[in-house]
Amino acid sequence: MKAIITLIPLLPLFGFVVTLIFGKRFFGKRADVLAVAVVTVAWVLSMYVFYHVFTHREDALQVQLFGWIGSGSLHVTWGYYVDTLTAVMLLVVGTIGMLVHYYSIGYMRGDEGYYRFFAYLNLFMFAMFTLILANNYLLMFLGWEGVGLCSYLLIAFWFRKKSASQAGKKAFLVNRIGDFGFTLAMFLLILSVNTLQFTGVFAQVGSIGNTTLLAICLLLFMGAIGKSAQFPLHVWLPDAMEGPTPVSALIHAATMVNAGVYMVARSYPLFIHSHAAMLVVMSIGAFTAIYAALIALTQNDIKRVIAYSTVSSLGFMFMALGAGAWAAGIFYLLAHGFFKGLLFLASGSVIHAMSGEQDMRLMGGLRKKLPLTFWTMLTGAVAMAGIFPLSGFWAKDEIIGGAFRAGYYWVWVVGIVTAFVTAIYMGRLIFLTFWGENRAAAEVQHHIHESPKVMTVPLVLLAIPAAVLGMIVGLPPDGGWIHRFLEPVFFRVESEPFSWIGSGGLLMLVSLAVVLLGVYAAYVMYIRSRELPAELSKSFPWAYRASFNKFYMDEFYEVSVIRPVIDGADWLWTFFDVKVIDGSVNGLAWLWDRFARLIRPLQTGRVQNYAFAIFSGMFVLVIVLRWIWGS
Amino acid sequence: MPGGDFHPIAFSIIAAWILVCGIGVVTFKNIVHSAVSMVFCFLGVAAIYLLLNASLVAIIQLLVYVGAISVVILFAIMLTEAQEGEYRLFFNRQSIFAFPLTVAVAVVVTAILVSSRYPQPISLKSLTPNLKGLATLLFNVYVFPFELVSLVLLAAMIGAIVLARREDELQ
Amino acid sequence: MSAIDWYLVLATLLFCIGAFGVLARRNLILIVMSLELMLNAVNIALVAFSNFVPGVAGKGPIFALFVITIAAAEVTIGLAIVIANYRNRRSLQADSFDELKG
Repeated sequence: MKAIITLIPLLPLFGFVVTLIFGKRFFGKRADVLAVAVVTVAWVLSMYVFYHVFTHREDALQVQLFGWIGSGSLHVTWGYYVDTLTAVMLLVVGTIGMLVHYYSIGYMRGDEGYYRFFAYLNLFMFAMFTLILANNYLLMFLGWEGVGLCSYLLIAFWFRKKSASQAGKKAFLVNRIGDFGFTLAMFLLILSVNTLQFTGVFAQVGSIGNTTLLAICLLLFMGAIGKSAQFPLHVWLPDAMEGPTPVSALIHAATMVNAGVYMVARSYPLFIHSHAAMLVVMSIGAFTAIYAALIALTQNDIKRVIAYSTVSSLGFMFMALGAGAWAAGIFYLLAHGFFKGLLFLASGSVIHAMSGEQDMRLMGGLRKKLPLTFWTMLTGAVAMAGIFPLSGFWAKDEIIGGAFRAGYYWVWVVGIVTAFVTAIYMGRLIFLTFWGENRAAAEVQHHIHESPKVMTVPLVLLAIPAAVLGMIVGLPPDGGWIHRFLEPVFFRVESEPFSWIGSGGLLMLVSLAVVLLGVYAAYVMYIRSRELPAELSKSFPWAYRASFNKFYMDEFYEVSVIRPVIDGADWLWTFFDVKVIDGSVNGLAWLWDRFARLIRPLQTGRVQNYAFAIFSGMFVLVIVLRWIWGS
Repeated sequence: MPGGDFHPIAFSIIAAWILVCGIGVVTFKNIVHSAVSMVFCFLGVAAIYLLLNASLVAIIQLLVYVGAISVVILFAIMLTEAQEGEYRLFFNRQSIFAFPLTVAVAVVVTAILVSSRYPQPISLKSLTPNLKGLATLLFNVYVFPFELVSLVLLAAMIGAIVLARREDELQ
Repeated sequence: MSAIDWYLVLATLLFCIGAFGVLARRNLILIVMSLELMLNAVNIALVAFSNFVPGVAGKGPIFALFVITIAAAEVTIGLAIVIANYRNRRSLQADSFDELKG
């Protein structure tokens, strides 16, 4: 079993190395074979591990590979820790990772960087697996950085496009800010409990002072804010859509962005003892959720809408964790992985059909021409909006219901409003893309065709769990299969059953009603009265502009951070580097030159002058030896 | 005043002779005058050797220095043009500084010599061995340098011939 | 001041006279002659030491003998060079040979 667990991250690493080094020459067009094979095997192994954990829930599997860092009394090992939480993550990462690899065979066909793409995908899988399997914060951080690197490499995959390479840079830099927090948290952990191993840290939680613990939790969360694109470090995610769609699906919907959520969930023993930290987590999650949803209302790029919806969904997950609904948050993570991945891949199919067009204003009427894409995407959208009985409904409702029951009524309000807005923009997305008349150029319209099987099969495979997973693992709410599965990690499920008739059911009805209202509003705006959106934006121009311009966050960063840094660096260059450093180096050379010119006349070329020097030197030596040196 | 084998009067005369001739060498305008002065100086040095009971060295000095080296130098003077002119043409620019330096060195070293004490007692009697003794030393203990020196002389001879040949003779 | 000191002072003075000649005169041949003076001074010192210091009794004259021999060889070569130089440059002035200046 230990070998199997070790193989899971190791295989993709092997795939990465081989594909990168030999991909271009030896594999050529078939560079995907090894990468895809490796990931498929890794998926099989992950399923096996999942099954094993499923049947032995109480004991966590541990693998210690080797001692990694031994410095003084700090010992960090390279080892893996598999409990039920890890198993859930393996399920998400393994499945969606594998499906994205297959999807990419079709989507990336003909690209000149074909082998590179698969190599990077494999590297990503290695890093992500390491992240979720790690048994200590440092190893997790290694995977954390690794996925950040792959994010950069894959976003900027079409590096010749300026906007793509800039987006990659932006992602990496913003992420780094979060990593700073993560690192500080690790330092604090070392200082307070002298270990970074999960088992060690959690055992000594009681000995950490309250302020220190709060600081650790907040710093860890800072890392999560960066990685999971929460406010204010969310700005990289929408720009990350420059990358190929499989990348968006895998990294920015189903796996990497979940790393923050996973990390907080894994640090449950730390957070549970710091009420203030949990409040912060919940608040930022809630704020981000509604903030992103409001922006998604006015975006025209289909991928951007989905990107902002991801930010919003992640906000929901943090909202859940912060409010104390830990299992609910993970449940949402699981469901979200499927339906968001599905949405991205389906949008990729749409874009593929539209010859690369991503602007929804130029789409329309695709439901007859792309039936498979349409039905699968619709499934994803319905799940996302949270309509009964798809998975999104159960998960989302559990979260806001949990918040209400825990007494955070304002969070419940935010959740409800967000659900309403979400329904509107998802409806908008579906209606604009698939209904009405196609508004693209004739040239494009000719080429509209359904995608190849290698792309549509993953769509179907994702649509199934998006639809039914919620009912299978989530019922009854708060006491379902998944909650019991995660018991060893979080806490015992309450014996009090969910009241279908009482408050529980009532809240469910309310959220369902709100969502349906949102869908109806979208229907009205985008099918019945098409002029309505334009009129609304004319009546409330400031609202429209605020939403469309992402509430000016990028501009704010530009002014407050980027300009000062660039101008400061500029000044350092023109003044310090040129004048001081170059000046002193050149000045030294000039000085030396002057000195040499001064000394030069000593070399007269005449032997008698030299003899004179020797003779006088001898004279000095005689005097020194006789009267000065020695006794 | 030391006694023993030291003869102050003889020494003083010969010493004065040597020094005067030496000054003559470095001061004359005419290079032939300098050469002749040098020969007399060598003669004086030979006399000093005799005073020091080193008759072998004295004889060799006469044979080699006076007999050979002086001749070579005179030949060289003969082959090259003498220069006429004012006095200052004969002394270079650094002589202004060379003179005080040389004087200073002489004074200082003399002072050191005069004021030093020797670690072991200095013999008053002359210690230089006679010819037989020197020969014994030369051909037993120092035979190796003796043979090597002959090599040096050979090399010098060949070198001189090669260097001094006229250009058109080199075929 | 013992006997040896007299000889040594004589050697010193002769050496300095020769040094002055080497440093101050322009004619190359004259410089060679002054060099011989210096060598003679050294020889005097050597013989004087061996004459009066018990430990080095016979070595002075031997050493002086070698010095004389080598001096002969050296004068030969030196003058050969001077003459060869004279043939090319028609000059015996020591300060006109300054090609290695700077």
